[in-house]
Parts: sequence; C-alpha cells; structure tokens
Amino acid sequence: MLPLSLLKTAQGHPMLVELKNGETYNGHLVNCDTWMNIHLREVICTSKDGDRFWRMPECYIRGNTIKYLRVPDEVIDKVQEETKSRTDRKPPGVGRGRGRGGREDGPGGRPAKGIGRGIDEGGARGQGGSRGGRGGLGGNRGAGRGRG
Amino acid sequence: MSGRKETVLDLAKFVDKGVQVKLSGGRQVTGTLKGYDQLLNLVLDEAVESVCRGTAVMLVSPTDGTDEIENPFLQPDGA
Repeated sequence: MLPLSLLKTAQGHPMLVELKNGETYNGHLVNCDTWMNIHLREVICTSKDGDRFWRMPECYIRGNTIKYLRVPDEVIDKVQEETKSRTDRKPPGVGRGRGRGGREDGPGGRPAKGIGRGIDEGGARGQGGSRGGRGGLGGNRGAGRGRG
Repeated sequence: MSGRKETVLDLAKFVDKGVQVKLSGGRQVTGTLKGYDQLLNLVLDEAVESVCRGTAVMLVSPTDGTDEIENPFLQPDGA
C-alpha cells in the first residue's frame, strides 16, 4: 500500500492533517496530487498548542509542510480492496512483443534490401558470396559474376 | 477542462477575493489575491508582503468565511 494511493483513495473522506509547525487541519479531502499538496473543504484548524480553533470553508495545503495525515479506517479497507483487484487482473506482457516481431518479418523490407546490396558488392568487388546470398535472385547473380 | 490542471486547488476562484496565506517560517499574510501561477507564486494586494515566493507558501485559504470558533471537538457530557 503506497502512501499516495492511500491519500488518493481518501478523496471525499474526512481526514486530519498535521503540519510540521504543529497546526492540525480537519476537513474533507477534495483533491490531492503527487506532491501531496491537498485541498480540504469544511476545515477546522487547530493551533499548535490546541487551544484555538478556526473554521474555514476550504484550504490548500502545500505537501512538503505536512508532518502526517490521519485517515478513517474505512479508507484503509478500501485501498486494500483496490490493490487486490489490481493485482488480480494483471495483464501478461507477452502480447505486444510477439506482435512487433511478426511485423518486422514481413515480406516487404528485406528482399528489396538484399537485392540492392547483392548487385553492388558482387559486381564491383567480387566478394558477394556470403552477403549477397541472403538477397535472393539478385545476390546470387552478383556472386556468380564475381567468381567467374 | 482548463489547460493548467497542475494545481490541486484552482486559485482562479480566489482572484480578487481576500485570502489568508501562511508561509513557512511562521509569517502569515492576508490580502487580496491579484494573480498566481502554477508554482503558487502569488500576487497579493493590500497585504503586508506584496509578492510571496511560491515555495514558501504553506497554506492558502479564503478569509471569507474563516472565523475563530470554540473547541468543536469537546463533546457535551452524555453525548
């Protein structure tokens, strides 16, 4: 269970946020991001020493000022369910690899390349034998000429 | 959807409204929000500090509707 997935699951739920400076904020989580910046609604702010309180309709809290968050137990249960269902339908990564391999073996590309190379090398330098052979008809002809 | 979905809270709704900004280091600024960017750099009008560096911004909340209240966590006896 990742901290941020827990936080994401807690969206819409009440939660407590304590900042590094000791202030706490109780409110409903509206939104959060990967920096743990959070947006709370219907917030009650408690001062560091716990003797003053403020109500605010909403607030934005920068993630790096957070000391810790408390979330209700049902959120913990919910995130466990979600991670379980995610591992259950884990897709095998084989399909895509096979598909790509098949495409490269297609009939278009390689013979054309082979013909070109076979004629060139075979004709000019007379060593088309091994390389030109792959190219099919053109390559073979080139190799023959080189030897003769 | 607007182009900037970077921030969790869309500060557009606070523009020209009173906001309270707490900065790391303990200072606090209230003023009228005139502008902002994705990094949470803020332009505040009629505030103690007129430009706040985004990385120092710890908390933003509207002043409208923010009041000091009695301890709401104290339950009356028997409740």
